[in-house]
Amino acid sequence: MSQTDDGTDVRLADGIDHQVAMVMDLNKCIGCQTCTIACKTNWTDGGGREYMYWNNVETKPGSGYPRDWEEMGGGWDEDGEERTPGELQDKEAYGRAWEFNHEQVMYEGSDEPLRPMEQPDWGPNFDEDEGAGEYPNSYYFYLPRICNHCTHPSCVEACPRSALYKREEDGIVLVDQDRCRGYRYCVEGCPYKKVYYNAMKKTSEKCIFCYPRIEGEGPEGEVLPPSCAEDCPPQLRLVGYLDDEEGPIHKLVNEHEVAVRLHPEYRTEPNVYYIPPFAPPQHSESGESIESERIPRNYLEELFGPDVHEALNTIERERAKVERGEESEVMELLTTTDTTDQYRLEVFD
Amino acid sequence: MERRPALLAALLAASLVVTTLAAPALVSARPAYEIPVADVDDGATLDTADGEEWTQAPSAGVPLSSSGAAVPGGDESTVDEVRVASARTDERLYLRVSWADPTRDTAAGDVRQFADAVAVQVPVNESARPPIAMGSTDNRVNVWYWNGLNVSQELLAGGPGTTTVLDDSDLESNATYRDGRWYVVLSRPLTDSSDDRTTFSTERDVDVAVAVWNGSSMERSGAKATSEWYYLALGPGPEGPPYETILWLVAGLGMVFTTLVTIEGIRRTRGE
Ligand code: SF4
Ligand code: SF4
Repeated sequence: MSQTDDGTDVRLADGIDHQVAMVMDLNKCIGCQTCTIACKTNWTDGGGREYMYWNNVETKPGSGYPRDWEEMGGGWDEDGEERTPGELQDKEAYGRAWEFNHEQVMYEGSDEPLRPMEQPDWGPNFDEDEGAGEYPNSYYFYLPRICNHCTHPSCVEACPRSALYKREEDGIVLVDQDRCRGYRYCVEGCPYKKVYYNAMKKTSEKCIFCYPRIEGEGPEGEVLPPSCAEDCPPQLRLVGYLDDEEGPIHKLVNEHEVAVRLHPEYRTEPNVYYIPPFAPPQHSESGESIESERIPRNYLEELFGPDVHEALNTIERERAKVERGEESEVMELLTTTDTTDQYRLEVFD
Repeated sequence: MERRPALLAALLAASLVVTTLAAPALVSARPAYEIPVADVDDGATLDTADGEEWTQAPSAGVPLSSSGAAVPGGDESTVDEVRVASARTDERLYLRVSWADPTRDTAAGDVRQFADAVAVQVPVNESARPPIAMGSTDNRVNVWYWNGLNVSQELLAGGPGTTTVLDDSDLESNATYRDGRWYVVLSRPLTDSSDDRTTFSTERDVDVAVAVWNGSSMERSGAKATSEWYYLALGPGPEGPPYETILWLVAGLGMVFTTLVTIEGIRRTRGE
């Protein structure tokens, strides 16, 4: 626990010097999956990882990836003390890595359209854009997800071999590939289903927050943000340290409290935060706007907990300020295009 | 009348001999917790579970129960007995573990799929008995492990969660699944120069414990069925334990003596 000047608490896990964190503004996500592909080509490109998406973008409301992950348990009880064992989902819930007829179309001159060899019946974001609600008031939004590098990670606790650990220097949660014996208690234990089992290597693997990039291990020795953040066309991700008082993360999360956690009731204390989505108001039968929110508040509360109300109210107030021509730090932080503001990763070097 | 006491005494002596020989076998074939080790000249056929020489090795039934480890399913194991036979040549020690398992699980290709497995643990330092749950830091165990993916590994552990794979192992394994039973042979040279592996002397018995995982019940890690400490009868002791023979002999002699004294007493009373 560290105390900041203005008295807001920043909870860091025991023995962790600093905690990396990410804020994603859901109002900007266009569901293009560029982040998914950036991550996939960097880290999970084959070798038993075909089905893995360390970064995935799902449509909400929707079943997500793996299917119905929110109903599989894991995480901690209400007091955050006892671990609640979760379920181990089968591979079908992730969706198969489909084989395509590339060979026939590209090399054998077949006239068939390019398509999966077997009829797909489930896959990541299979229910894309379906959403919920009735015309003309249907609604949906995209939810990009990575491992949350939680402050109180139940995946770490679940491993009987301490093969998962939280790095001291930045709180990144990693799987030690030499210690892992493929028991998959972490896969069961993570309520966000962000640890994956590699059946070829017989070990578990997960998002590494692109630690070689933030450590400056790239060709030029530059410090770079995680690929999912850097490649996102609308640049909706802010990356930095939760305990960097000058950084955008600390300000949005702790000072203005407009960035909230996904399923805080799992009690793992995620370090990925979301700016909750707004949508145009509902329309009447005759097509006029009516004073009723399109995305039901209770649904957002299910996803982001009760803090989502204050967050939405604050953002609304701040927007109004800007509309009146006043200054708003929140809106500046959320609309900056300056990458030195978006990615503050060298403050604790 | 002169001959009758003598005849009685002779009968008694005869029955004593029979009792001394038969009774220990009837009471118990060998001490509890012993796994006999057959001494085999040529181990050519011990490598496979069906090998001819295994007929010379008596097997011991070893009951198993849930390990109770603090992992989900740590007290829900499904296998409740293994049979363990052992044999040695001058160079190698062989163990054949068999158990009933109606599901043959030999893959781990899906997230929910686990392979059947067996492990045998012996103390690294065989003069002290380590804690049963994977030993402890200062009293480590050497583990021989096989699973249905045909992985065999020699491991070192110093307490739960510390298992480490030992490289360059000479451990060999062979498994057969027949009529709903696994038969797994694990073997290794008796001696090993490494400090992390057990060296078996034929001068003393060595503690041994067994664990079995049933893949289809998603058993892995501490979710397993384990035995208590048994011992491999490698020491020079006789096949049958001497103390039982001695006890029966003493008891028999006592009976003969009492009978003779009684007969003598009766004779004297009658004034013969
Ligand atoms: S999101 Fe899951 S895998 Fe990532 S740190 Fe939290 S509990 Fe562990
Ligand atoms: S790259 Fe950005 S906009 Fe595209 S799906 Fe990912 S988070 Fe959303």
